Amino acid sequence: MLRYTPPEKDIEFVLYDLFDAETEWAQIPAFGSFDRGTVGAILTECGKLASDVMAPLSQSSDEEGAHWDNGVVTAPEGFKDAYDALAAGGWLGVSGNPAFGGQGLPKMLTVSLEEMFWGANTNLWLYATLTVGAAICVDAHADEVTRRLYLPKFYSGAWTGAMALTEAHAGTDLGLIRTRAIPRPDGSYRITGTKIFITSGEHDLAENIVHLVLAKLPDAPGGSRGISLFLVPKYLPRDDGSLGDRNGLESVSIEHKMGVKGSATSVISYTDATAYLIGEPNQGLACMFTMMNYERLSVGIQGLGLAERAYQASSSYAKERVQGRVPEGPQAENTDADAIVGHPDVRRMLLTQRAYNEGGRAFSTYVGLQLDLAKYASDGKVREKASRFVDLLTPVAKAFITDRGLECTLLGQQVFGGHGYIREWGVEQLVRDVRIAQIYEGANGIQALDLVGRKVLRDGGATVVELIDDIRQTEVPEQYTAPLDEALVAWQEVTRWLCDKAPSDSNLPGAASVDYLDMTGHVLYAWLWARMAGVSDSKDKRYVADYYFAKLLPRYFALEASIRGGSESLMEPSSNWF
Amino acid sequence: MDYRTPLRDMRFLINDVLDFEDHYEAIESDASGELVDTVLEQCARFAENELFPLRASGDKTGCSWNEGVVSTPAGFAEAYATYVQGGWPSIAGNPAFGGQGLPRSISLWVEEIMASANMAWTMYGSLSRAAINAIDSHGSDELKATFLPRLISGEWTGTMCLTEPHCGSDVGLLNTRAEPHADGSYRITGTKIFISSGDHDLAENIVHLVLARLPDSPAGTKGISLFVVPKILNSEPNGVVCGAIEDKMGIHGNATCMLHFEDSCGYLVGHANDGMRCMFTMMNEARILVGTQGVCLMELGYQASLQYASERLQMRSASGPKSPDQPADPILVHPDIRRMLLTQKAFLEGGRVMTYFAAQLSDIADRGADENRASAERLLDLMTPIVKGFVTETAFEAVNHALQIYGGHGFIRETGVEQLVRDARITLIYEGTTQIQALDLLGRKVVMNQGQALMGFLEMIRAEADLQSDGPFAGKLRELADQWGELALGLGGKAVGDADEIGAASVDFLMYSGYVTMAYFWARIARIAKIHEDDEFMRGKVKTAQFFFDRLLPRTDAHYRAALAGADSLMDVSANEFGHH
Repeated sequence: MLRYTPPEKDIEFVLYDLFDAETEWAQIPAFGSFDRGTVGAILTECGKLASDVMAPLSQSSDEEGAHWDNGVVTAPEGFKDAYDALAAGGWLGVSGNPAFGGQGLPKMLTVSLEEMFWGANTNLWLYATLTVGAAICVDAHADEVTRRLYLPKFYSGAWTGAMALTEAHAGTDLGLIRTRAIPRPDGSYRITGTKIFITSGEHDLAENIVHLVLAKLPDAPGGSRGISLFLVPKYLPRDDGSLGDRNGLESVSIEHKMGVKGSATSVISYTDATAYLIGEPNQGLACMFTMMNYERLSVGIQGLGLAERAYQASSSYAKERVQGRVPEGPQAENTDADAIVGHPDVRRMLLTQRAYNEGGRAFSTYVGLQLDLAKYASDGKVREKASRFVDLLTPVAKAFITDRGLECTLLGQQVFGGHGYIREWGVEQLVRDVRIAQIYEGANGIQALDLVGRKVLRDGGATVVELIDDIRQTEVPEQYTAPLDEALVAWQEVTRWLCDKAPSDSNLPGAASVDYLDMTGHVLYAWLWARMAGVSDSKDKRYVADYYFAKLLPRYFALEASIRGGSESLMEPSSNWF
Repeated sequence: MDYRTPLRDMRFLINDVLDFEDHYEAIESDASGELVDTVLEQCARFAENELFPLRASGDKTGCSWNEGVVSTPAGFAEAYATYVQGGWPSIAGNPAFGGQGLPRSISLWVEEIMASANMAWTMYGSLSRAAINAIDSHGSDELKATFLPRLISGEWTGTMCLTEPHCGSDVGLLNTRAEPHADGSYRITGTKIFISSGDHDLAENIVHLVLARLPDSPAGTKGISLFVVPKILNSEPNGVVCGAIEDKMGIHGNATCMLHFEDSCGYLVGHANDGMRCMFTMMNEARILVGTQGVCLMELGYQASLQYASERLQMRSASGPKSPDQPADPILVHPDIRRMLLTQKAFLEGGRVMTYFAAQLSDIADRGADENRASAERLLDLMTPIVKGFVTETAFEAVNHALQIYGGHGFIRETGVEQLVRDARITLIYEGTTQIQALDLLGRKVVMNQGQALMGFLEMIRAEADLQSDGPFAGKLRELADQWGELALGLGGKAVGDADEIGAASVDFLMYSGYVTMAYFWARIARIAKIHEDDEFMRGKVKTAQFFFDRLLPRTDAHYRAALAGADSLMDVSANEFGHH
């Protein structure tokens, strides 16, 4: 069984040495109480919960899976106690609004808490994490009464949340949804329809489950402009927060999945379910977008958490497994073979994981910092710029970190050889669990389209240029200056090329987007690695930075060539000949 | 999910691109175009009707083990009986022992059709072929007479037993012992793991090919001998016990066994301490077959995801609605969906032709004219790690694209496509991991004989460029042929000063080599397809080639740079410094 060691030291390095968190927090009144001491205690507590309570259930929950019996859904064994521990520790409310009982921790910090939860037990965290998103949405768009009723329950973990968007025929294209909402005289609504792929839509870990449901009002405009957002609780709460009637929704079945088997993914049927409108009619998607940036970052971090797990397992294995002789000759006397960590290609596999994992930790913290600045900075200009950086970078965080997550869990698995294919060793689960992160919360191709088609093109690449300028003003060690600069120039120029060509080729954004996102991620990680090598005292970061620049950054040359290859080779064939 | 055997593509590659009819004449085989057609069609029917329906169910139930007895999934045994009755196992078998004596290439196509329909099931028969080859090539007359007829007919199956708990890649560490017996046989004792098809209920005997050590044998691989160890000998159990079957990520329908040999009676194949060489006779063909497994899974994934992309309506085309009467357009209109489809198509059809090319070389090496055998063997030696390593790595990427096209539905087991990913994953590991293939390619095959094999292939690439010098690919082909040669030379030179340089560059070099090899074949295919440009199928080939050159071939640039970046950044870190925080 795989153990989990919380990466506290690296988290603190990223926070303080790389991003000078203490200075950032000092400038934000809302973060006045945070310093190394408090944060250290939080990280340690979180780490203990992750490694001692959550991680030991990860493999068993995959083997057992969730259960469905006549509409009743049960989480795997041990999850109830573990969830209670999460809730009791206040971990569901760490980012929550202090006015309603949340702790208002900086996003820059909570990204690391999330990494530990995802990494220790993805299945378990999936029961909790939807609550965080639901809370953000309710906090931003619901009325005062609703917020006062629901938010404390979310933050305490007494009630959990679920997002009900997808229908059998509508995933990416939410404009096609058919779930209907009919107004009632008393101002509430009744909702009828069927939603699928609802993570944690039903379970036995909390006394109430609150669905956020997208539905269409009668006479709503067609397409995505006619979507409204509703709050649909499993049990209708009374004014005092106690549970009233059971509402008209139920889990019709749960899915059999490739991975995250311990997470219950329900088909939910709503039959005249009582629902409350959130925000304005037909503004459902706009409400969703408020929390979308946080959700995207969060799912990106799922990729990071699982990849970190894979690295820990494979680096330990590589130091113990003896097989073959390393090229330099026997490493110890009286041995038949050497530890495989001595083989160059095994090192390639370990260093690649490390480069992307630690790069991902730095990147997600950077995006977390931008989210904090966008929300809390006192200077309006700082807020506005950070907001644009958030818009630009969250699709990259989601897609790039999860794509690297798959790559790295595969590498971790490969280090194990044949044993990596055997379930008991626990590594193949990481691959199956990370695979969904590239699909849900907006498939990675959609993230790429959002990045290029919307975020980059809408201001002609101006935000990209601004980010590059900011990057250029940071200090990096001499040996990385030239290759980093070359990469930044390439990124800037291909951005301009895209902006120039897009108006005359409506298919170009779609054709170039995935490669462009991949290139963007690689260039940003180059910057982060150069910075990390510069601010670190130990040689660890320099080793990995050197490796990154030598072996991984060069991928952008291929990506750039593919981007400039244009759309013709994709679009020329007719649909029929495929 | 559905499976329709891609006969059109197979025939195009066999007849139009690789000229197998001429090839069969040259190796003096009876095989004609018509015969091949008949074999393919009949095999397609068998695979589609009998094997494919068991694919998902076999994955769902898997095999079971009970007190040493292994049961395969429902229907597997019946299908195997049909397979034997149909004479399929004996296609390429030696006629002296009841085989039909057809060239090995034909058995590769049969294997491909069956494995696409059901990879786990097909593996029960595939391992037999390996056992047959080893015995036929190196066994004594007595051994051949005893074991070949029923292995060839399929009445018995075979396995390859190399791996032990402490030794996979480093087979020289194995401990299984062989003690000589008075009558010339041996007694084998030891434990082998990860034995595919190691035990089952499909046939009345299983013939294990086991690597073991004789007393006083030299250490390492030089002291390994190959033995035939039947499960049942003279109607009695022969001390071969299946201790357990593995619970795996995929290929659940195939029983992956831990086998205990308890003083089992075994027979030496070939000479004492010559086991590795004998084993390699099997392993090389097995490596090509694993490449074929990659092709098989890609074919299923492509068919399924293409179908889905044609039917699933979601969003509108960026250039205006393409199905205005429908609520949305089929996702096939979206550029990135096309990128994923075309990537699959390029790797699938490119991988297919590479395996067929290897099969053709294998035929020549096996029974071609004397003067052609050596060069065919050399080129096959070079191609084998490329086919195994590159085709499987790209196949894994391709089946993941197939899954991604399905969106959330791709993650659901009932859809059937996530099984492809789980099944494909093992192809990068067994039969020599990608890492081992890469070391074999750069460390052995490329530098052997002063690089003759690679130089020979580079000439083939240049010759193809000359044949299409007015075409869009000629320049790039020449450029890459030159660069590949320089890269090999450069890496060889670096290795003289630092032994780690080979390992450090190996996987990037393998992938680089794979892309250039595939580029050669795509250019060749395009040249031939262009002749029939009024045909949609042929036009599709040309366009896929263009896509490959535009969007996938640029990856060589990244691999080239990474390969040349050297070993320092890998080797500077000490083992302890690999700790985590």
